Amino acid sequence: MTTEIFLTRLKRSQFGRGGLMLVLVALFLLPLVVRHNDYILHVFMQALLFATLALAWNILGMSGAISLGHAAFFGAGAYASALLSLDAGFTPWVAIPLGGLLAAGLGLTMGLICMRLRGAYFALATLAFVEIPKVITDNWDGLTHGSLGLVGIPGLPALRIGAWHINIGDSITASYYFVYVYALLLLGLVAFLFRSNLGLALQAIREEESAAESLGIQADIYRSLCLFLSAFFTGISGACYAHLVRYIEPGLAYGIHFSAIPLVFAICGGRFTVIGPVLAALILYPMDQFVFHPLFPAGHEFLYGAVLILAVLFMPAGLWGTFSRNRDFCTLYDKK
Amino acid sequence: MYTTLFISSISLGSFYTLIALGFALIYGVTRYFNLAHGELLVLAGYVAYWTWKSWSWPFLLTFPVAVAVMLPVCFGLQRIFARIREPRELNSIVLSFGVAILIQNGMLLCFKGDYRLIRVPILNQGYHFGSFYISYAQLTLLLLSLTAIGCLYLLMQHTYVGKALRATIQDKEAAALAGINVAVMGTIAFGLGAVLIGLAGPLYGCIHYLYPSGGHEATLLAITITIFAGVGRLRGIILAGWIMGLAESLAVVFWGASWREMVSALILLTLLALRPHGIFGREGT
Repeated sequence: MTTEIFLTRLKRSQFGRGGLMLVLVALFLLPLVVRHNDYILHVFMQALLFATLALAWNILGMSGAISLGHAAFFGAGAYASALLSLDAGFTPWVAIPLGGLLAAGLGLTMGLICMRLRGAYFALATLAFVEIPKVITDNWDGLTHGSLGLVGIPGLPALRIGAWHINIGDSITASYYFVYVYALLLLGLVAFLFRSNLGLALQAIREEESAAESLGIQADIYRSLCLFLSAFFTGISGACYAHLVRYIEPGLAYGIHFSAIPLVFAICGGRFTVIGPVLAALILYPMDQFVFHPLFPAGHEFLYGAVLILAVLFMPAGLWGTFSRNRDFCTLYDKK
Repeated sequence: MYTTLFISSISLGSFYTLIALGFALIYGVTRYFNLAHGELLVLAGYVAYWTWKSWSWPFLLTFPVAVAVMLPVCFGLQRIFARIREPRELNSIVLSFGVAILIQNGMLLCFKGDYRLIRVPILNQGYHFGSFYISYAQLTLLLLSLTAIGCLYLLMQHTYVGKALRATIQDKEAAALAGINVAVMGTIAFGLGAVLIGLAGPLYGCIHYLYPSGGHEATLLAITITIFAGVGRLRGIILAGWIMGLAESLAVVFWGASWREMVSALILLTLLALRPHGIFGREGT
């Protein structure tokens, strides 16, 4: 009996892993298939970038916390990297990690402020926290060029590996592969993190914090580490966004859009799963761009609100958490 | 100058109280955080704008229309909220965040992104009273807000329904044991919330530009005032509203208008970090 369950479980998880492999291979081959359609490639590049946002959000999400304010880290990373390369003359390869570090610093600051807050109150604090870097960026004209935004941010420079010379900034295909590789690396890292002791500790904290602490898990340290990593990678994604789109302004970079996107993808995909958020990003964003944008040019993002509501009401474990029954991560909902 | 500043902060603060009351009442009775509060407010403002603009109704008649639209919307929202599972507070935040995105984009779809303002010419005039000056807009804000707050106060303190509502705010289970129908109290809270939003929306539309994403700030304000006062403290909310009005006016005077948005966020973060149960609240209430 137990072996039987074990086998079905194995099959399912194999199927899941195989499905993911298929998606990744399809995405790898995509530029070869849609050679003459930059728009499709652009949409999938954004979808992959948003998948990295959802992955980064989910590092914090795994600890049970919900953030409504990841736009703070996105905007900080984007602005720091854009300003460093635009005004201080850094190459984006240096500016992007520095942007990530600034965002991570901001994350730690938020962690200090919200040290004692859990659940709903933590979420409210994150909602308020976004306003601070936003208003500062908006008003510190001398440093950030104020509310006009930044135009002409340098694109990603060419990459030289031996005899290879890849012009990432100029070609959409190269940009696409750049984001693809970044998303793949982050996916690998997140998967590794959650299979490591950190993942187990987070699971324990999420289920019952005082019990976890009585086992010697230092919840505050793990939580801060999560926030640090989550903010760092959100900042990196923001910085990549700035160099890919090459235009940012405070209202956009710190806007509710970039707080909502990772939240919606992570919750719809499955908050306590590794793969779910990525799949949700790859399904929902192209759906938004290809189906809803042509139909409703003005308010097409109502899709995100609608799927978020549906997910909270009918599928709290998310798409992946419900259908894959990936028992490693979905204990909370499997108990029933 | 300081009297004028004081008058404008008190009138703005009373209006903030009016905005926050609906949020605080719904949160107090049902423990649902309604992050779509600001969006509902802007929606009520748009409703008033359209009745005023396309049917050219007088401004005062837009209030009943806005209330009439808000009631079914809020009851619908309550039906959605009623379906969420544990942990309810957190899930209500995520759910209403989704509702906020939905309403925001719905408004973008219906009303486009243009900035709109309900222009009532008489409100731009004012009244000189000795050395100080109060504009009719400020007077309207002050009088209407205080009347609404006063009516709600009377309802809460001097009627049976008010008593039942207060009991539900204090302890849901004990209230249920005492024979109060908690579910009905939730419906009443959402209904009162709808009335308050319907009253605040048109006022919001005539002192503030209406645009689809403008509700976020009002939501933050409502959260800040509610947390400031502590759950279910009506008098505390009035005081908190005035303090917010004063703080924002002072920030505008000393730092400039663009820093105003940060005031409520800073106050909320400080409160959450130091006194999560509110200035006037007690632990465990």
